[in-house]
Amino acid sequence: MDTKKITITINDKQYKVDAGQTIMQAADTCGYRIPRLCYHPKLSVEGACRVCIVQVEGMKSFVASCCYPVADGMKIYTNTKEIRQARRDIVELLVDNHPEDCHTCERDGNCELQRLVYSMGIRHRHFTGARKHYEKDLSGASVIRDPDKCILCGRCVRMCSEIQGVHCLGQAYRGFNTVVMPAYNMPFAESVCSCCGQCINVCPTAAFVEKNHTQELFEKLNDRSVVKVAQFAPSVRAAIGEAFGLPVGRNMEGQLVAALRRLGFDYVFDTQFSADLTIMEEGSELLERLQSGGPLPLITSCSSAWMKYMEQFYPEFIENISTCKSPMSMASALFKTYWAEKMKLDPKKLLSVAVMCCTAKKYEAARPELEVQGLRATDIVVTTREAAWMIKSAGIDFVNIRPEKFDTPLGLSSGAGTIFGVTGGVMEAAIRTAYELYTGETLIDIEVNDIRGLKGVKEGRVVMDGQELRVAVAHGLGNAHQLMEMVRADRNRFQFIEIMGCPGGCIGGGGQPYATANSIPLDEECLKCRAQALYDLDRSKTIRRSHDNPDVQRLYREFLGRPLSEKSHELLHTHYHAKTPRGIVSPNLKVV
Amino acid sequence: MPTPLELIRKKRAEAVGRIIGKGYLSTKRVYVGMATCEIAAGSKDVMDVFQKAVSRGLTDVYLSQKGCAGRCNLEPTVEVIEAGKSPVKYGRVDRERAQQIIDRHLKNGEIIQEWVID
Amino acid sequence: MNVTPYRIILCDGTACINSGARALATALREQLERHGLTEQVTIGLSGCLGMCDKGPILVVNPGYTIYGRVTEKDIPEIVQEHLVKGQPIARLAIQEDHLYNRFFRVFGDAKFFGKQMRITLRNCGIIDPENIDDYLSLRGYEALAKAVGEMTPEQVVAEVEKSGLRGRGGAGFPTGRKWKLTAAEKATPKYVICNADEGDPGAFMDRSAIEGDPHTVVEGMAIGAYAIGASQGFIYIRAEYPLAIRRIRRAIDDARAHGLLGQNILGSNFSFDIEIRLGAGAFVCGEETALIHSVEGARGMPRPRPPYPAVAGLYGQPTVINNVETWANIPVIILDGANWFRTVGTETSKGTKVFALAGKVVNTGLIEVPMGTTLREIIYDVGGGIPSGKCFKSVQTGGPSGGCLPEQYLDTPIDYESLVKAGSIMGSGGMIVIDEDSCMVDVARFFLEFTQDESCGKCTPCREGTKRMLEILTRITDGKGQPGDIEKLERLGGMIRKSSLCGLGQSAPNPVLSTIKNFRPEYEEHIHEKKCRAKVCKSLLHYEIIEKCVGCGACRRVCPVGAITGAAKSRHTIDQDKCVRCGLCFNTCKFEAIAKA
Repeated sequence: MDTKKITITINDKQYKVDAGQTIMQAADTCGYRIPRLCYHPKLSVEGACRVCIVQVEGMKSFVASCCYPVADGMKIYTNTKEIRQARRDIVELLVDNHPEDCHTCERDGNCELQRLVYSMGIRHRHFTGARKHYEKDLSGASVIRDPDKCILCGRCVRMCSEIQGVHCLGQAYRGFNTVVMPAYNMPFAESVCSCCGQCINVCPTAAFVEKNHTQELFEKLNDRSVVKVAQFAPSVRAAIGEAFGLPVGRNMEGQLVAALRRLGFDYVFDTQFSADLTIMEEGSELLERLQSGGPLPLITSCSSAWMKYMEQFYPEFIENISTCKSPMSMASALFKTYWAEKMKLDPKKLLSVAVMCCTAKKYEAARPELEVQGLRATDIVVTTREAAWMIKSAGIDFVNIRPEKFDTPLGLSSGAGTIFGVTGGVMEAAIRTAYELYTGETLIDIEVNDIRGLKGVKEGRVVMDGQELRVAVAHGLGNAHQLMEMVRADRNRFQFIEIMGCPGGCIGGGGQPYATANSIPLDEECLKCRAQALYDLDRSKTIRRSHDNPDVQRLYREFLGRPLSEKSHELLHTHYHAKTPRGIVSPNLKVV
Repeated sequence: MPTPLELIRKKRAEAVGRIIGKGYLSTKRVYVGMATCEIAAGSKDVMDVFQKAVSRGLTDVYLSQKGCAGRCNLEPTVEVIEAGKSPVKYGRVDRERAQQIIDRHLKNGEIIQEWVID
Repeated sequence: MNVTPYRIILCDGTACINSGARALATALREQLERHGLTEQVTIGLSGCLGMCDKGPILVVNPGYTIYGRVTEKDIPEIVQEHLVKGQPIARLAIQEDHLYNRFFRVFGDAKFFGKQMRITLRNCGIIDPENIDDYLSLRGYEALAKAVGEMTPEQVVAEVEKSGLRGRGGAGFPTGRKWKLTAAEKATPKYVICNADEGDPGAFMDRSAIEGDPHTVVEGMAIGAYAIGASQGFIYIRAEYPLAIRRIRRAIDDARAHGLLGQNILGSNFSFDIEIRLGAGAFVCGEETALIHSVEGARGMPRPRPPYPAVAGLYGQPTVINNVETWANIPVIILDGANWFRTVGTETSKGTKVFALAGKVVNTGLIEVPMGTTLREIIYDVGGGIPSGKCFKSVQTGGPSGGCLPEQYLDTPIDYESLVKAGSIMGSGGMIVIDEDSCMVDVARFFLEFTQDESCGKCTPCREGTKRMLEILTRITDGKGQPGDIEKLERLGGMIRKSSLCGLGQSAPNPVLSTIKNFRPEYEEHIHEKKCRAKVCKSLLHYEIIEKCVGCGACRRVCPVGAITGAAKSRHTIDQDKCVRCGLCFNTCKFEAIAKA
């Protein structure tokens, strides 16, 4: 980047700024925050909404500040009468083609359009007329699409293709009838949608929301005839505070345990426990494959969005995917077997609920291959957002509640289980255990920095007994695609790979709280704070290796026997199958 | 090695030779407008009439197609060029007029004034 | 006396007039009378023939003898020797081997072609477009040979820059500068693209040009590719043009077979080939960045510029995009030279412009005139005026992106700046003449309906704003206009013009804003008096039966809603509440007894 300094004038005041930036970027450094909508720093510049227009002296048209570069001596005006009216009218035009149902909308109070309308000072409507109308797509297991609320900023489309590499969403039709939809207007359920929910994260309105299970859950929580068991994922505790106005990165583990009990759960367990269990199984799987020669690389299977993506786009690697279920599904399987037996409960009278940072877990929970003894293992999945709403709706004082502890024995976890929520965490946790299983020695320096951080594809090496273990980590499906192409080119390059479907790992999951008024969705600083909360939690624990978790050890002693035992295979492992939704060319298709 | 200009001049000479070989120096050259607009106005029928006439023995006529000359409201157009005479362009030609152009103009040298675009 | 029916063309361009051309006409008429030749010999005037340095110019047809620097004294000799005796005068004849203006050699039609000058359409209507021999025989591909054989790429760029040629797609960006910018880029590969995605309603310049002379475009592109260092070109043409596609495909194949495309063209180191890409007809794909997306296989949506295609175009590589007409100028500029090209046109706009002349004009057609020709000359001289004795009302240039100019702008010369100053644009070449029978609000609504429908839907002002403008216009023409509607149109139109992402949106309000500016009273009548003076807007007119009615009953029988009553042989009446204003009675009445009001 050119770091030459140039002088620009904004609203008649001079500023020295770096050359080579856009007007918006330069203005950001000068204390102006030009209103914006379609712009997102992680996505390509669309220049579509035109909310960020400014006047530049000497130019006859307004200029979209998100894409126009600054030049030395440029005179920029951001708030003239003319530009304010044009900007206001543009936002009004968006609202004029948007349902007037703010009070009953899921994003009420947390909607970027609403905030824009307010800050533009739109008190009257001048141009009301016809509104577009398309049916909602309710077919998806995870994501609901409501085109009527879409204001066509295109962030979801760019997210889905540029960051996630799924290319499920695109604009269709023209002009006023333009609509964002999957190819061939297929329902989500039949499309290539990975269910990652990142479209929800970047959507400024409620055009994308998760399939809502809160009403169903409230109903079930009132059913006295069943025992209600909850688990929640590592990243939920690192982010849910944001939904209550707390600063980013505050660990709310104890408060969430307490709140879930007040919501009506009889037992609250920790998905981190089954994360530890995953490490035992997957670590053993890795060692077995290393010893028996394959198939390698072993690729993690915790991320549900990644699993669907893999089944669609990389079915040739199904043999490389770890057969371990995700920690959520492992925990749910244990609730309805080990724990139900232990508690002398009828598993049919047990409600297993997961609070997840993820929307794809809703899809995963419905996979038939994950059933246990003919029962669905995870009955209901709610996202962090849904859980936060339920807590508010039930009148629970989340911020001031006294923290409580998890129930045992499925509530105790090591620091290794905690860091599952961050990209590189599963790998790091696995190394902590695999090293010891392989070498018989304890790994002293357990923080593996090569694979931490937000770089898209990370590579690392661990030397175990003179043997080199080559590992790689990717987060976000677009990066996963890149990494898999590296593997496709050279199958021997890596032996162990961790892939998380969402940017930053689960902390950036599609079910996490919406960005607040002064931040942007998936802001890197926000992701770092959430990650830090989990790393801090890891450090605060005395047990930091999964195999040191006494309750995991007890589980093997009492029930499973040993990792990869027959019982383990029955309850904790599964298999994946190639999927070819429309729009995917089957690998068997011969092009003539 | 000939230069590009030398090459293209040679190509041109060859092209002229081929055109002459096809009868370009015939006393009468007939061009039928065959752009989309002309075809839409019916020039394929007109071309058909001329082609049939040639195949049935109309001699001394070099028949060719041409693109749009811009006379939209007068299409289809047919142009007759004779050495030493001003070109004649007929407008709104249909099968009937084409046949008459053959019979009266091409065979008998009569310029059918009422259809001439002037 | 048996005299050949000669047709004499006198150049009536500015330079020739200044050197005495008009006096020649008088002298010529005198001499013809003296010889009694006024019947056999006709005199026609032409626009600039582009031989200004040798003027005044007089052309004798048949024979295509060109006399240059003719004086009044020469006239008796010309008449006596050439016209009477059939002996052309070698002393006065000049040899001009220009590529353009072959029309006078083969056409009589001087009224129509008189003011025209054919540079890009020089072969259209002359050659068989499906026979490369025809093109080769008219010095085809000689410009390419000259470029690759005798000129460096820099010289080619410099020649085009010097010619003053500007993009004929509408915006008028200097072609040479565009090439220079692209040539200066280091990144390879580079591409050239021919934009043949002609989309204006009523425009057919590109289609006709390709159908009439496809090789010119191929040759122009090859020269451009040589100049900027590209080895691959694309022609983006709409699939609705099957004949044009067939002919350009044939031209590419033939050129390839002759070694004029492909590896080592004409024995040089230059290699270049062209692929065809079919567009599905979206208007926005004529916008260069949208076109690039479409060629790449993505949805045809524009993206913000900069970066311009010269820097990052097709597949992110430096790319020159020019439209059909621009490319067709290139061989002429290379062969006849920039110095000659610069003599045609005005100070800021050189060369000629092709228009698709349509609407209420006698000679509808495809025309090419030198820049600087006035609208009046085009409409009345080339176009032959307004048919049926109606009054001229407005001329619309630039298609849906342009504006409607009223009578006081008829003497506006055709060039980029003058048309903008008058409140319209050059555009790609649509020109629609409108007479008193058209309602300007309805005209504006028609064009806006088109752009509204063709908006790609990406940016807010164009997607949402044009819809709202159309709603307002529709209610005005429906007789439901409200006070303040004109101001709303102006407010929205101004915002859309200044805020939209691409040229489509930026120019979409033009037909509305220009008709408000020039025909505001018509809008006001619609809104306040619920009156449409052109009697076009159905909701604002009603039919009445006047005293001419003989009571034949034809109208009563044809009325689909039974709104007409009356006894036989007595004047009928229309129930205005029942009438749906279908106009059937009006068309049926043989006695002109039904009036629109």
